[in-house]
Amino acid sequence: MGELGKVHQLLIPLGGHTLTFNLEAILMTWIVILVLTAFGYFATRGRSILPGPMQALGELFVNQLFGLADDALDKELARKYAPMICALFMFLVLSNWLGIIPHLEEPTKDLNTPLGLGLMGFFIAHYAGIRAKGIKAYVREYFEPMFFMMPLNLIGELAKVVSISFRLFGNIMGGSIIILVVSYLTYSVLLPPALNAFFGLFVGTIQAFVFTMLTVVYISVQVK
Amino acid sequence: MMEFDVQTWIKVAAFSGGGLAMGFGAIGAAIGEGYTAAEANSAISRNPEMAGDIFKAMLVGQAIAESASIFALVVAMILLFTNFAAESFVTVSVLLASGLSMGLGAIGSGVGSGFPAGAACQGMARQPAASGRLTTNMLIGSAVCQTPAIFALVTSFILLFTNFSGRPVSPTWAAVLGAGLAAGLGAIGSGLGGGLVAQASCEGVARQPLTATPVTNVMLLGQAVTQTTAIYGLLVAFVLMFKNFVPTDSIAPPMALLGAGLCMGIGAIGPGIGEGFTAQSTVRWIARNVEATADLTRVMLVGQAVAESTGIYSLVIALVLIFVV
Amino acid sequence: MAIEGVDLVKAAAFLGAGLSMGLGAIGPGIGEGMAAAKACESIGKNPKEAGLLTRTMLVGQAVSESTGIYSLVIALLLLFVV
Repeated sequence: MGELGKVHQLLIPLGGHTLTFNLEAILMTWIVILVLTAFGYFATRGRSILPGPMQALGELFVNQLFGLADDALDKELARKYAPMICALFMFLVLSNWLGIIPHLEEPTKDLNTPLGLGLMGFFIAHYAGIRAKGIKAYVREYFEPMFFMMPLNLIGELAKVVSISFRLFGNIMGGSIIILVVSYLTYSVLLPPALNAFFGLFVGTIQAFVFTMLTVVYISVQVK
Repeated sequence: MMEFDVQTWIKVAAFSGGGLAMGFGAIGAAIGEGYTAAEANSAISRNPEMAGDIFKAMLVGQAIAESASIFALVVAMILLFTNFAAESFVTVSVLLASGLSMGLGAIGSGVGSGFPAGAACQGMARQPAASGRLTTNMLIGSAVCQTPAIFALVTSFILLFTNFSGRPVSPTWAAVLGAGLAAGLGAIGSGLGGGLVAQASCEGVARQPLTATPVTNVMLLGQAVTQTTAIYGLLVAFVLMFKNFVPTDSIAPPMALLGAGLCMGIGAIGPGIGEGFTAQSTVRWIARNVEATADLTRVMLVGQAVAESTGIYSLVIALVLIFVV
Repeated sequence: MAIEGVDLVKAAAFLGAGLSMGLGAIGPGIGEGMAAAKACESIGKNPKEAGLLTRTMLVGQAVSESTGIYSLVIALLLLFVV
């Protein structure tokens, strides 16, 4: 229990400021990246009409997520952004599931990961909006429907980033702390596996899906 | 106050604040999620073939309604496990205010986000072809409905991470407590109101999928106006947190600041809900009668502005209490 | 009555735990009750689907319970750990 809240960090002083690296999050993210890259390689090697298990899994992901993007965005935008959406979902699902494996923890437990992904989605959405509407129409939208609504609209946009990131972070971090506390209190008897399954697998999948869907929806709202 | 050192009182406030934050924060989300589950069940019974899609929509909607409670959990964890610097008695009040702000602020958004999810589930049973559009609408509506809880979270974090120890103990203790209450209570009405609007929009899209665009636009407009009272709460909270007050010995100035916070906080509940009802009704009827959109929108804005009036009176009195008295 | 500083902290922890669980029990109670009520109504309208409806109700109630679990954990933390 004393470990609660401890983060291993690497501090590099660089010209007056310090560069801080949160080691656990970085290591776990690299593990996720390696696993996904390996999966991508094995799933597309030797494509055949009768798919093997890896290819079938890959096709399942691609079908579902490209369908999601098609529903929300129009044709060419969907083709442009669907691969990113698919990658985002697969990254998040694997990250949230990593906590099940002993000694590994979810990279999304560190606020930096969800916040980074949220900001990425925010910039992509606004870039898509400016591309689609042109800069003048984009700026004019902030002043709709009344002139003094500008600060409200601005705050609303920032609130979107905060809510999407904190939702993912809170769910994953809260789940892992709850598992830790309950294991400590019940001396790791009986309850922890069930809790792990609920908070790690079930909640992790749903939160990854919600994050991805909200990113798609934000992009679609900006380009309309 | 006298025999115990500051560290003891800080721990007292941290634990009480943490308990209050999670306690209040759990109320709204659970009610909203239960409502969603109820509507989903009713929808499945109507149209069992859509059970898979309805189930998925229910889970997604519940996950979004959960967000405000998660924010409250994060604040509670921070309050329980951080070692706060024991410098001044103001920190005691700060911790309590932080817990109250997030705890109370999560109530409205939790309940509110459950409404559109329930309506989306019902809509899918009625109109399976509009499922994609309904899910999108539900997500947009619920996500915007969360904004007042975000304001409460921002206030909570500012309270936790700003150094208030340089300020005079009295009346700053009342100022920060008032700030927490203003932001927290002020988010209740807007959260509920925003949820009502989103519910009507999901219902409208299910009834008449061709009207999806005007319905979504007016929903966003109605939600934005409903959130103005939460913005007033945030504004009063910021003023209370960042204004430099002169040190005082009497009890009157602190009570004035606490009263300002309570005034704006409680006063924002009613207009938030009322404007929510207005926008809900507008969106519902735009779906049924899309040619009347312009008239309906105009009447909605006028009606909401009038409903806002008591909220504005609360804001005025709160500002008077802060600056004049 | 001489109160020690340590006692006061413990007292506050207990109070916080009580408030956390007490208030936190309101929501799941109401929410799960609503879910169960509508489930009964739905089964009454369509008894053939009773299995599917019951399963949906249970999953919905389990998700609604999660905030109650968070309150429970905060209460347990305040009682035994801090």
